[in-house]
Amino acid sequence: MVVAALGRADADTAEVRDRLNPLKLASIGLPLLYSAAFFVAPLGFLILLGFWRVEDYQVVPALSLENYLDIAANMFAQSTYALAIAQSLWVALTTAFFAVLVCYPLVLAIVYVAPANRQRLFLVLAVAPFWSSYVLRLFSWQILLAKKGIINSALIWIGLDGLQVELIYTQTATRIGLIHYLAPILIVVLYVTVANIDRSLIQAARDLGCTQGQAFRRVILPMSRTGIVVAASFAAIVSFGDVLSGALLGGGAGTSILGSVPLFSNMIMTEYASSTNLPRTSALAMILVLLMVAILAAGAALAERGKIEAG
Amino acid sequence: MQGSAAARLAADGRWWRIAGRFYLVIGYLFLVLPIATMIVFSFQKGQFASIPGQGWTFGWYGKLFEDGSLIEALQNSLIVSPLAATGACVIGFFAAYAVNRYRFRFRGAFTVLLVLPILIPPLILGVGFLGLLARIGLQGQLLSVLLTHMVIIAAPAMAVIQLRLGQMPPALEEAAWDLGATEFQTLYKVVLPFAFPGIAGGWLLAFTFSFDEFIIAWFVSGFDPTLPVAVYAYMVGSIDPSLNAVGSIVFAISLLSLIGVELLLLPLLLSRRKEAD
Repeated sequence: MVVAALGRADADTAEVRDRLNPLKLASIGLPLLYSAAFFVAPLGFLILLGFWRVEDYQVVPALSLENYLDIAANMFAQSTYALAIAQSLWVALTTAFFAVLVCYPLVLAIVYVAPANRQRLFLVLAVAPFWSSYVLRLFSWQILLAKKGIINSALIWIGLDGLQVELIYTQTATRIGLIHYLAPILIVVLYVTVANIDRSLIQAARDLGCTQGQAFRRVILPMSRTGIVVAASFAAIVSFGDVLSGALLGGGAGTSILGSVPLFSNMIMTEYASSTNLPRTSALAMILVLLMVAILAAGAALAERGKIEAG
Repeated sequence: MQGSAAARLAADGRWWRIAGRFYLVIGYLFLVLPIATMIVFSFQKGQFASIPGQGWTFGWYGKLFEDGSLIEALQNSLIVSPLAATGACVIGFFAAYAVNRYRFRFRGAFTVLLVLPILIPPLILGVGFLGLLARIGLQGQLLSVLLTHMVIIAAPAMAVIQLRLGQMPPALEEAAWDLGATEFQTLYKVVLPFAFPGIAGGWLLAFTFSFDEFIIAWFVSGFDPTLPVAVYAYMVGSIDPSLNAVGSIVFAISLLSLIGVELLLLPLLLSRRKEAD
């Protein structure tokens, strides 16, 4: 009888699991419905909208290439989208490079130099800025970097009159804002990678006579490669899509070695603000999507090559 | 011979250690600098922040509340973000439960579809959201921000809740069924309590994302701006130290959620790492 009861219980659970029960329907259906209505639909609509037109300040459904042709015509004339795209790529890639350059050594120091029982505290402190508002942090950077701002006035106050930084409204300031925004996330990503490196491997390298530098180059660096590529791609994508730092610290058209050119993302935002021409904005956004996919593909290819080399 | 090699290695290690400490100090100074600036200069007289200071005041906090527009925006944010985080947690919980328990076709695609919104740049989503919402007459209200934020932040909520559900032994649910509980009773009395730390951690993360989100809200919020949108409009117009005051208030609110995360989220992440070891 016990056996029969057990058998029945098993059959019950199996039946419960296999049946298309209301719970299964709800737990798959609800997220799917919401995502279809408020994610898939807007994205699909974005593609569609790029082919629509504006007539008498009204958005009219159409199937015209007008927006794209006009943007193509403006690539090197008037709005010079090509320059803005180049500026965006340049700023995004250099930001990603410097962000990793700042964060990776910091993570190494947290993992290998900070006392083991304090690591968690260090990590929490590193993540803390993420919990303060991004746009308000940019305001802080603004008053820090301003021409007569905190840093410059402090330099004069301590007697270094000759040493003045002129960063505000340049793309360097844009990068500083972005790196500060990205740092907490990159630190977590890189920390997970570096903390998972088996310490006995490093010990083995040291026992075999490697200096600390050699152990780093031959063991730690190759083993953090994937984490570094992930962090850098993430930083590049976020920087490429960000509008705030470029607008508030870069001043809209911040200077870089490419000249005083706005970022593509800022151009999309200001164009929409001044024209409220949504179909054209959608077409510009689609171009941004395509460029981003290209960056991601490049990142993935790099990671793949790293894997092959390491494996 | 061996002794001197060990000494050489130890000395080599000491210099790295000193360099590492030095860099830790520099790095953390960089991280803290804008936040410290915000707090210190919210109490400083003088419209244009400079060093040495121009004396202390509570005036900017007073001006903030007198002027009211930023406080109103803060209220808007404090209405929208908790609601959006709660909605995201409902969606995220169901999605995580489905992925964790059921085997169904396109399960991988289901996960990707739900995580994708957080990976797509919000600038692009903002344009798409506005296009669709304007078509159905839902643009320019707080409700628009709520509906759109929910999609984005359901992804982090789902990820965190799934971390927790992944730690649940399947036998737990089976035991409840065997003891006669229905599916929904089990969900309510066994799964939900177990998942609670994950849900709370996911909620805080979702809240933070929504509270700080700018560009989507800029596109869809219209005349009911959330805090970041109002701050942006303010900043483009002028330099006003009231912004430091509102920043300090926001940071104080956020510190509470940071403490919550420290208590809820980190143990989750770290315990999984331990299991992996």
